[in-house]
Amino acid sequence: MAVNRASIVDSNFIQHVRALSNDTPVTEEQRSREWSGLQGWEIVDLFHTMVQSRHLDIRARELKKTDRSFYTSGSSGHEGNACVAKAMRHTDPAFLHYRSGAFYLQRSKQVPSVSGVFDVLKGIVASTQEPIAGGRHKVFGSVPLNIPPQTSTIASHLPKAVGAAFTIARKNRLNLNSPDDDSIVVCTFGDASSNHSTACGSFNAAALSDYQNLPCPVLFVCEDNGIGISVRTPHRWIEQRFAPNPGLKYFSANGLDLLECYRVAKEAVEYVRKTRRPTFLHIKLVRLLGHAGSDVERLYRSQAEIESLEATDPLLKAASLVNQLGLMTSEDIERLYESTRQDVLALANEAVRHEQIKTAEEVVSVLAPLSPEAIRKEATTPPHSEDRELFYKGRLPENERPRHLAMILNRALGDLLCKHPEMLIFGEDVGQKGGVYHVTADLQSKAGIGRVFNTPLDESAILGLAIGAGQMGMLPVPEIQYLAYLHNAIDQLRGEACSLQFFSQGQYKNPMVVRIAAYAYQKGFGGHFHNANSIAAVRDIPGIIIASPSNGHDATLMLRTCIAAAKINGLVSVFLEPIALYMTKDLHEEKDGLWLSKYPSFNEHIPVGEGIICTEGSDVTILSYANGLWMSLRVAERLKAQNIHCTVVDLRWLNPLPEELILETSLRTGKVLVVDECRKTGGMAEPIMALLAERAPGIIVHRVTGWDSYIPLGDAANLVLVQEPDIEQSILELVKGEQP
Amino acid sequence: MTQSRKRCVVLCPGRGSYSKETLGSLQTLLSPKLDAADTFRSALGRPTVREMDASPKFRSSWHIAGENASCLTAGASAADFDQISSNLDIVGVCGNSMGWYTTLGLSGALPFNEMLRLIETMGQYQKGNVLGGQIVYSVVNEQWQIDPSKVNLVNDIVDRIPDLYWSIRLGGQAILGGTTEALQEAMETLPTVEGPRPFPFKLPLHSAFHTPLMLESHRQALRDLSDLDIRTPSVPIIDGSGKVWRPQACSPTSLLEYTLERQVIDTYDFTSMIRSALRHFAPDHIILLGPGSNLGGALAHVLIAEQWQGIQNKADFITRQKEAPFVLAMGREDQRALVTQ
Repeated sequence: MAVNRASIVDSNFIQHVRALSNDTPVTEEQRSREWSGLQGWEIVDLFHTMVQSRHLDIRARELKKTDRSFYTSGSSGHEGNACVAKAMRHTDPAFLHYRSGAFYLQRSKQVPSVSGVFDVLKGIVASTQEPIAGGRHKVFGSVPLNIPPQTSTIASHLPKAVGAAFTIARKNRLNLNSPDDDSIVVCTFGDASSNHSTACGSFNAAALSDYQNLPCPVLFVCEDNGIGISVRTPHRWIEQRFAPNPGLKYFSANGLDLLECYRVAKEAVEYVRKTRRPTFLHIKLVRLLGHAGSDVERLYRSQAEIESLEATDPLLKAASLVNQLGLMTSEDIERLYESTRQDVLALANEAVRHEQIKTAEEVVSVLAPLSPEAIRKEATTPPHSEDRELFYKGRLPENERPRHLAMILNRALGDLLCKHPEMLIFGEDVGQKGGVYHVTADLQSKAGIGRVFNTPLDESAILGLAIGAGQMGMLPVPEIQYLAYLHNAIDQLRGEACSLQFFSQGQYKNPMVVRIAAYAYQKGFGGHFHNANSIAAVRDIPGIIIASPSNGHDATLMLRTCIAAAKINGLVSVFLEPIALYMTKDLHEEKDGLWLSKYPSFNEHIPVGEGIICTEGSDVTILSYANGLWMSLRVAERLKAQNIHCTVVDLRWLNPLPEELILETSLRTGKVLVVDECRKTGGMAEPIMALLAERAPGIIVHRVTGWDSYIPLGDAANLVLVQEPDIEQSILELVKGEQP
Repeated sequence: MTQSRKRCVVLCPGRGSYSKETLGSLQTLLSPKLDAADTFRSALGRPTVREMDASPKFRSSWHIAGENASCLTAGASAADFDQISSNLDIVGVCGNSMGWYTTLGLSGALPFNEMLRLIETMGQYQKGNVLGGQIVYSVVNEQWQIDPSKVNLVNDIVDRIPDLYWSIRLGGQAILGGTTEALQEAMETLPTVEGPRPFPFKLPLHSAFHTPLMLESHRQALRDLSDLDIRTPSVPIIDGSGKVWRPQACSPTSLLEYTLERQVIDTYDFTSMIRSALRHFAPDHIILLGPGSNLGGALAHVLIAEQWQGIQNKADFITRQKEAPFVLAMGREDQRALVTQ
């Protein structure tokens, strides 16, 4: 039978307290004396927080015995992080990892309306009354405490912490903050996850920002307990790695020593606040009670090692401290310890009465709320005409001749910058160069370098900045240069941005529109990385909107809609711009100019999820988007000569799909061709065919798709991509009633 | 692990609690604290608590007057506190409005005589000096659930009418404080809510407590009471913002500042206070000290708003109180017995 280390650690504490000397008399005066910048009563208060945190861990494990707790990764040994909270303001945004329980509790003491212990317990038992995630997850998060929630297990919250810090400074520069806002951002993580490439990218992004004299007031707090589950961090690795880090000032504290930890934390916090520079606070502490309740530590640590670590329990040291300083007698300490145990027990007994989420609908209800009417209103509201006159210097886009997609999008972005002073455009090359395809050309000079700017070549950092900026009240429009580049940073959307409303019931939002130059058909140029046609990684992200316009008119309106959805509902949209159609002017024949668009007025609107019938015919329905749509229209036109008439539908939105339009137009002809330029596996044909199979059984459905392949160079590219003859042949087969 | 001893939060009522119904209720009580209160009043040459309680007739102008009512209320509360069975664990103490002073005295944050000095001094400021007043309005529906539209209505008029303030957020009751003119306008503006005593109604001989109109009282208090022998309490106390002040872990200086300044001139948030009591201590009971049991309704409103232990409406609360009462009001004989035995 496994030994219950929690009860041993618990007993150790009682024994330790009973053996305290009580040599220093306890007097009222001691409470006002000061040590390391803390008055006596504040030291007792910190000690109380540490005790609360410990009892939460003990209680979580007790509740687990009867299957009433669903989370046992605790903060035991890490309680010194309360000192960091004490050294900060509760208004400083804090991105916490899962062992920062004492930080959370200490900060909660600054806001009377928050009862930290009860909130954590409600999270542990998955109560629907838990104030941040409502029973969906156990996270440290709170709106009044300025702690945005996340799971934090793999340091994937560090990019957004950097983003939030950068944005605080940027808002100051843009006069969007109160001028005296000197907030800083803190994020905590473990020694093991400091090795994560996402973490390393974040340290780099912060340091790079600092190197360019761009303020980035972020405090990285590494809670170094020397081990990641069972894998030891090499001795002094964190110090070796971070002490000499240029652009990242290093502080080190013994987290087992309350006074030292507070003193150093205060120093580090003040340094960041004053200098606005990224800073690394290394807190050395221990992990007690194993990784989680289910972890058998004895498998990878000797009994002697476990016991020696338990002997360094920060609570023992803190108890000795308050006794030696004449702040508490041993009886006082034991009373506090036991009364806190009783408080936690009573609150836990209350929390387990609460209901858990009962239906799947409740689980997902918070993912991506959509307010179509409010979005319509927002999307169709133009910028102030004086602002536009100024921005465009009198050359308004609606007065221009018809333009291709890239240029029209440029005008659309310009208008949105005009309309939303909080909107930022950033990414690789979007500044002076105006983007690889000139979509952001001249926007920097028009809106200012503070709002349209280049970033380092790190997609995680770009999306992290977007998340942080969104959380700080901005309207970020990051650009990912190519769809393939998204994949090394996809977790920032998948695990972080899109999960925020899930973890916070919509109380926190990170609105954004991620523009991505996407898809293939670049005449064999560029190969895989510049022609990626894989969208599987985006498609199943809960709550995400995927827009895929095929022409300038739609792109403008859909961009306005996405921006409005971000502003109204805080939604995350991915905006896939077909590279091959950026500069396309013609459709059926050279110089027909049918793929050019006049700049759309603000009266027009394309709601989220609304597709369009481009041309109607009674023989076959073609469902497509982007390049596939362009090719389909050409083929459909040619087939008219053979008396074959097709209905061609531009889906426009890949998530949510225009399901009713798909069904209606498919049922009308009974013969459907899905033209999907993405891969056969995980592409768009799959959900469309599944939809038709489920809701329109009996109709005939064919598909043409890209191959499950990377895109090669040269003419070989066309071998794995949908071509017009493929479309034509499939239509002919459908018309003849042949099986695919 | 289960808890055998009942955990109780003690609630000290405010000044309006002593009434003709409670007249005479202190006569048979043996209470060292009541003795102390009487000695204190005698030394000042003022009618003692027992003398006032022994009065054959309730005289509003005398019993409710600030210089008497506060001490009378605190004395009665303290006498009840002395009667609480030692089988119960008191895990926190809190008070409504003037009950905050009682809280300080019963929790050890002030020696009892210092609490009396505080109460007496603050009460004396009221003598012949009623400033503005307070009115009461109901913001709950028939099920005793907070009605957001009524709260919005109150917020609107507080925003609109000059010198009108939230004085106390008292569960389902809005206590508004302000100048006579402001209150008059509020009374005329607020639609009548029918009941045994229709809302809004005015509280007699009350000043606009817990509003900026009390600035002068705060200034006087700083002059007269800065030397109060205040210390950290021996049991956690919860103030009128919901903040918990814990033994040895809070600043006596801040506690004095709060007592003489913030709670004097800022809204007293009873609702947040009770919410904190529930959410920080999860008590088995809230013991409502006498005199009277007027705060029972306000307590019920907060329990319902919190859906505490499944109590979601008036009927739930009444059933719960009948079967296994959560609120134990010492002003009610049946519930008092559960506290004293």
